[in-house]
Amino acid sequence: MTPPAPATPRGFGRLTLDVRQNLPPWKQAVFVGSSLILGLAISVAILAVAGIPPLTLVSELAGVLTAENLRGVLIQAAPLILVGLGASLAFRIGFWNLGIEGQMIFGGIFAAAISIYDIGPPATRLLLMGMAAALGGGLWVLLVVFLKLRFRVNEIIATLLLNYVAMYFLFHLLYGAWQDSKTAFPQSTPFRPFERLADIGYGVNSGLLIALAGVLAAGWLIHLSRIGFYTRFISANPKMAKVVGVPVQAATIWIIAISGACSGLAGFVNVASQEGRLTQSFANGYVFSGVLIAFLSRNDPIVVAIVGFLIAVLFITGQTLQVFYQIPFTMVQMIEAIIVIAVASSEFLIRHRIRWIR
Amino acid sequence: MNAALQLAGIRKSFDGALALDGASFESRSGEVHALLGENGAGKSSLMNVAAGLYAPDAGSISINGAPISLNGPASARSHGIGMVHQHFKLVRPFTVAENVLLANPQPHFASGLRDIRDAIKKQVDALKFSIDPNRRIDTMTVAEQQQAEIVKVLVGGAKILILDEPTAVLTDAEAIGLLEIVQRLARSGTAVVLVTHKLQDVKRYADVVTIMRGGKTVATLDPRHSTAEELTELTVGQTSALPERTPHQGGETRLNVGALTYTRGDGRTMLNNTSFYVRAGEIYGIAGVSGNGQAELAEALIGAIEPSTGEIWVDGAGDISHAGQAKRREAAIAAIPADRYAYALAGSLPIQDNLAVAQIRSGRYGSIVRLDRAAMRRDAIAAVKEYDVQGVRSVKQKASLLSGGNAQKLVIAREFSREPEVVVAHSPSRGLDARACAAVHQRLIAARERGAAIVLISEDLDEILSLSDRIGVMTRGAIVAEFERPADRQAIGRAMVDHA
Repeated sequence: MTPPAPATPRGFGRLTLDVRQNLPPWKQAVFVGSSLILGLAISVAILAVAGIPPLTLVSELAGVLTAENLRGVLIQAAPLILVGLGASLAFRIGFWNLGIEGQMIFGGIFAAAISIYDIGPPATRLLLMGMAAALGGGLWVLLVVFLKLRFRVNEIIATLLLNYVAMYFLFHLLYGAWQDSKTAFPQSTPFRPFERLADIGYGVNSGLLIALAGVLAAGWLIHLSRIGFYTRFISANPKMAKVVGVPVQAATIWIIAISGACSGLAGFVNVASQEGRLTQSFANGYVFSGVLIAFLSRNDPIVVAIVGFLIAVLFITGQTLQVFYQIPFTMVQMIEAIIVIAVASSEFLIRHRIRWIR
Repeated sequence: MNAALQLAGIRKSFDGALALDGASFESRSGEVHALLGENGAGKSSLMNVAAGLYAPDAGSISINGAPISLNGPASARSHGIGMVHQHFKLVRPFTVAENVLLANPQPHFASGLRDIRDAIKKQVDALKFSIDPNRRIDTMTVAEQQQAEIVKVLVGGAKILILDEPTAVLTDAEAIGLLEIVQRLARSGTAVVLVTHKLQDVKRYADVVTIMRGGKTVATLDPRHSTAEELTELTVGQTSALPERTPHQGGETRLNVGALTYTRGDGRTMLNNTSFYVRAGEIYGIAGVSGNGQAELAEALIGAIEPSTGEIWVDGAGDISHAGQAKRREAAIAAIPADRYAYALAGSLPIQDNLAVAQIRSGRYGSIVRLDRAAMRRDAIAAVKEYDVQGVRSVKQKASLLSGGNAQKLVIAREFSREPEVVVAHSPSRGLDARACAAVHQRLIAARERGAAIVLISEDLDEILSLSDRIGVMTRGAIVAEFERPADRQAIGRAMVDHA
């Protein structure tokens, strides 16, 4: 028998990958920064093809600085920061929570229920609605936690698909029992004035304060509290954490419940401010934004606030473009996707070195 | 006639620990050459040098009398050296043919796959194997996967076939079948090296046996002209004088393991009625050939796995075999696992966090709402100093930056800071240099003097003999024999292989 001869590499050379041991933080920042710029450049190119000259884009972005647009950005930033917190808390312990929309929907439904069934005195009504929303979001994600811990169900699929269950349950309510009898639109009756988030000046509502309080609370939870200490061990080495006595299961359940509660609060902020009632679409598109914000901020609550604000700028600019240039909103989501891919590839370059071997 | 494969004066150390100390080995075409030795004797290391996986620090390798230098497994393959590892190197979702192709790249994929299939068929027929080149690896039994590995190596044109513990994963009938095939293969002109610790296999199937001990090759002889006792004696060596120390006080029973059983996910029973007890102020050594349930016993004791049945009774805490973490803490078990980065350290986290984590619940490092990082830092600096952990520039550096010995000292510093009543140590000196090893042993003896009950599970018989007050030999998931100090090394060696 003659053994087949081993092939020799042809051509001039080949690419190889080495695993990097360590890269100084400033170099990492350079990689992330340049990929971000590359992602934005690609986005600008695509928008140019879609009929928006780059220069117009610059003036539109500058237009964000008008009082009217800035107000929109600040309102939009609140739910984005909250879903960013929700996603980053869950990601910190390796739970891929893609059910942000479902948790927002249940947050909205729980909050609306307080209004519709007229529970509690007007003075504490908003507080009660907020607590109910947090509870709703938390319970909806705990369903998946139970499935994962008890039956090892994959949380990525379970959380993602339960979004649809939540959405159709919302439709069931809005086309049924909770439909506004006056307009016959699939919406709930508008909330009473004391059930809406109050203005804190410049037309910006207190949703922003809720989001900023959430940032501080999550920052404390992750960086200063004992449970935050546990989460670092659970994500670094769960087997070891269990052996040295970290309450892995309890800490995991708590963090994920809080993650769901953040999304529930985002739902509450949306229904109690922008919409003022339960609508069909108040949670649309937030899964992706939440994941994006968590990813760009590397799951750090303080950075989430900054990134959440920048994504809000992107949203508002997108809305303007939508109105004036007939660009579909999916274009904004595509830009988000391009930025995620660009930053994800910078992660690869941070971990590996690509070399050309001759 | 020149040796097909000759290794001379091979030295290799890892992280300061000498694994091969001038080992020499010669294998001839047409012979089955057994390489016999205890775990850690250096068998696998020596063969990994031959297969191009380890670059030796010193020594020479020749093929058919011509010296060669190897710079990787591919260059070993091109010299006709093929190795079948204990843990198969197969891509599970691929077919046999695809795996063989991956190891033996062809210039064109489609025609290459066809040629490879033909080559596999020829080998399979010649060896009277039963595997189909188009079957996926993950649908095959372990024995069939092993056949695929052997075929893969032979299709690559190997003239020297190294089999690392090939029968460890097989049933008795499968093992006999394989060894007969291997013998036939040798008769047809291949040089076969059989790395093993099973005396029976050596006596029945090997033409020559080389015995390794402590990184050295101590003897090469004809197994048919030597008795099992002679081979055992050469394998385990002479009894060295045990260090003097105070006889243990024979305290109360602290730990009682009763009829522990554990069946792994794949259906293999790893613990089969394991029973023993350990008294206060006593080191109980568990000896045995690796893979006989020692790892699972250690995991059950430290709470990494839950045993199927049986009890782990600890003085003051009761049965903790299925206990939650609160009850385990009451039992105050210190865990020094074999795989430090699997069960003892979070490599990506700072040294001070790794030290603090075990006591964080006691409130020593701040309340639930506020961590006391200053206290963590203070204690970490003190522990690093007391336990002589080297290579620490800052207690905020990642634990994974420490060398093996220093990482182990870190684990011991944390586990002993709680004054444990029961210590479970599994191969605590694996991969450590002599100095670090001595430091670890000193800590274990100090814990014994303090009255702790210590379980020492180790595949290193010297470690067991020099530290233990009593020794249990573990085979197939059970303690099959017990010995009092000073124990007879030969008797333990026989107990280890007789029941295997």
